Amino acid sequence: MQKLSNTSMLKIISRLLILLVIAKVISLVVLYILPNEGVELSVEESYQPKYQRVDFKNMLISASKQEAKKEVLKSGVNITNMILKGLYGIKDSGFIIVALKSKPDDTEIVEVGSKYEGYELIEIRRRSVIFRKNQTNYTLDLQNAKVDPKYTKERPKNINTTTVPTTQKVVSKNDIQHYAKNPKDIWREISIVEVKEGKEIKGFKVTRIKPNSKMATLGLKKNDIIIKANNVVLKSYRDALKLYSNIKDIDVMQIVVIRDGVEKEIVYEIN
Amino acid sequence: MVKLAKFIGYFLFFIIALMYFTPKVSLYYFAETKVEPFGVVVTEESVVDNGLRLSLKDAVITFKSIESAEVKNVDIAIFGLYNSIDVSSVTLASTVATFLPTDIKNINISYSILDPLNILASASGGFGEANAKVNILDKKLFLKLSPSKLMSKKYRSTLRNLNKSEDGGYEYAKTF
Repeated sequence: MQKLSNTSMLKIISRLLILLVIAKVISLVVLYILPNEGVELSVEESYQPKYQRVDFKNMLISASKQEAKKEVLKSGVNITNMILKGLYGIKDSGFIIVALKSKPDDTEIVEVGSKYEGYELIEIRRRSVIFRKNQTNYTLDLQNAKVDPKYTKERPKNINTTTVPTTQKVVSKNDIQHYAKNPKDIWREISIVEVKEGKEIKGFKVTRIKPNSKMATLGLKKNDIIIKANNVVLKSYRDALKLYSNIKDIDVMQIVVIRDGVEKEIVYEIN
Repeated sequence: MVKLAKFIGYFLFFIIALMYFTPKVSLYYFAETKVEPFGVVVTEESVVDNGLRLSLKDAVITFKSIESAEVKNVDIAIFGLYNSIDVSSVTLASTVATFLPTDIKNINISYSILDPLNILASASGGFGEANAKVNILDKKLFLKLSPSKLMSKKYRSTLRNLNKSEDGGYEYAKTF
């Protein structure tokens, strides 16, 4: 009887087919187990307007202070967002010219006893004024004034006083563009390291500033800890780099640093 | 002897079939989930299963949410006995320009059964040429760099973090 096929060849082919089926089954099981989507970058987009430092602590005060709370919510403007442009009078009589940093040309005249953005003007001094809000006094220094120490040391008795010193600087856009194109020049003049609390970045510490450099004229000092820029809390390198990459589009920049344990605000007008 | 040859033949056929059918794209996604906890995310890439190899095109690599590099082409070959990853045309982000020249021509990472304890890597680009070896057992990285003229001239501060070797190059060792 003639053989219709080579049995040994059939044997090999059938074995190979079985192996193929096994391989396919295994790959299907693996396909079932493994993820069918890749990891996407999740970016927390947050819009935080410039100069809108709302202190949420004020919103969480007890029910007995409901009225004061409403006032705070209505205003939402921090004292550090104000510029004192002029003052006329002394102590409890007179008026001042004040504006918001976001709208420096939009000035307003405020009399002693009247309110501006929820803050009551209670006293005019030689180079500063005292505002009161929620039983706390705030000192606002005259723009570009050299403050006489005797005035800054005065504190009303039995009242909590919070002073956030502010410095305003003017930065040339050309300088910004130069640093944006030559980031190496930044690190020649300044060194910054992260400050961590556990695993979280709490800010960026200035460890070195080259004397007489452009960076030195910007008001930063060695050991300053930069915690905020344009109201964005700097919690990662990404926050800092995002700001750096958008710097060409920014007209005003406000940074908050901790200097000698005290929060200080430096405002840069870029023109 | 014939039986052994047949067994090896069947085995190799099975391995090749398995590699062919393995869902390489899903494996790649799985690898992505493994590197994500370290802050590394690859985005915008197109992943193509080429039968026995996997290729990625136009990938953007972010580290801790910072866009760190753009990669034109990645070719991954996992053969079990010999595995390699070839990366070409890498452009590092401008934020890295302070520390390194931003162009990397190619990177090759390979692992072979002939040298089972070490993963080898080599790279060349604007920084010069680098060769690295990772010992899996000792968890040690050893890198040797032959800097380019540009690197030696403009990136001295980066080179200061490395140790000078006797042959004029630079070395870096780290245990992880």
